[in-house]
Amino acid sequence: MHPILTVLAFAAFAAAAASLGVVLLVFRERPPIAWLGWSNALAAGLMLGAAYLLLSSGGTMGAGPLAAGSLLGVGLVFASHAVSGTADLDLNVLAGLGPAYVRKVIRVHTLHAAPEGVTIAVAMSLSPALGVFMALAIAAHNVPEATVLAAMLMSRGASAARAAAVAVMTNLGQILLATGTYALHLAWPAVLPWTLGFAAAALVYLVLAELLPECYRQAGHTSVAVVTILAMGMVALVGGGLS
Amino acid sequence: MSEVLAVFGYALGTALATGLGALPFALVPLVSARAVAHANAIAAGLMLGASFGLVAEGTAHGTAPTLIGAAFGVLFILATQRWLNARDVVFGAEHGPRARQALLIVIVMTVHSFAEGIAVGVAFGGGMALAVAITVAIAVHNVPEGLAISAVLRSRGSSIVRCAAWSVFSSLPQPVMAVPAFLLVEAFQVALPYGVGFAAGAMAFMVFEELLPGALTIARRPTVAVLVTCTMIGMVLFQRAL
Repeated sequence: MHPILTVLAFAAFAAAAASLGVVLLVFRERPPIAWLGWSNALAAGLMLGAAYLLLSSGGTMGAGPLAAGSLLGVGLVFASHAVSGTADLDLNVLAGLGPAYVRKVIRVHTLHAAPEGVTIAVAMSLSPALGVFMALAIAAHNVPEATVLAAMLMSRGASAARAAAVAVMTNLGQILLATGTYALHLAWPAVLPWTLGFAAAALVYLVLAELLPECYRQAGHTSVAVVTILAMGMVALVGGGLS
Repeated sequence: MSEVLAVFGYALGTALATGLGALPFALVPLVSARAVAHANAIAAGLMLGASFGLVAEGTAHGTAPTLIGAAFGVLFILATQRWLNARDVVFGAEHGPRARQALLIVIVMTVHSFAEGIAVGVAFGGGMALAVAITVAIAVHNVPEGLAISAVLRSRGSSIVRCAAWSVFSSLPQPVMAVPAFLLVEAFQVALPYGVGFAAGAMAFMVFEELLPGALTIARRPTVAVLVTCTMIGMVLFQRAL
């Protein structure tokens, strides 16, 4: 199988995994608010672990392109939040929502998925084993993220199937970005430090701007810190052996 | 004997360099609540970047010991927090929650210096030929750690001199641990991943438990995200270059 097909298959798997986010909600349609906080913390920790793996694998690359790529990542996510008017948006409010809020949340989730596609491609280019692990970590991360999105949609009367479909749809960009970035690496390998810096910075930025803020209010500082560090540590330690 | 003295002297020099981290705050006033939140975000980014570096160093010596060390690091800070919460902490002119956070960052950074001292001693154990290079590298590496401490202390009412003094204090375990680690390299090499993991766990927990929530409740999210991401990646690239 051509390696780009592997990238396609694993990125598609990661996007499809988002549908599992509704499973929890089938049992408990209106979950306790702390669950949403922990879901966000879990997703945040997995992303930070992914950023650690990228940065520690880029150990021999030039600092200049890494720094430039990172600034590009920070700048692009900052701009996309500013342009879409979502810089201070809480992603997991369950009460009193208008359709405008829901549209904004779906937009944020769609933008959020793009750097994760780049992450999968960068990891695949570093080593296939790391790439597969990274895709699995992103897939695992998509589940709690989809739970938060689906809880919001279902509290507005959407069916579980519809919520699952929307969750997967917001992640479809991941597949496009993963295969596109991987093709770019094949054509022009020198771009890898740039995309690595870009992906790592974007992951960290998204964690801080989207995932962590609201969950501290929902689940308490200590439990959020423990869940985040556990998830981050698992990814960093298991993946550390693969790069 | 002279070699032991040299190791102690070099490691003491690196500890003094930590005080330089207080200097930037002589130029920037940290009075508004928002400035405090920004200082928290900067400290969080620097410490998160430093903990990434520690995990990378620890896992190079053994994954399981790093993990065990990190778990104990988290538990240690949890226990220390419990202990401090039950008391009215006084730190300089401050007391209450602000003093508690100031004291906690000094404790976290001081504890983490024990692990760094071991790393220094083990590095010197490889031979004194590289002594000056190692010393300069560690001294420069300590400056942003002083910056992280000073960001928290300065924004909680400490003077520049106090910030510098506590920064140096937090690094004093380095010369203390460097000497036995230098003399007993093999024994301390085994302990290294546990110590480094412990330091990483303690720092990461302080970041996610105290600094980030403090920053995010007051400052705007994009500002926090930009500050943390840039200082974190800056720290990773900076440590790598040494």
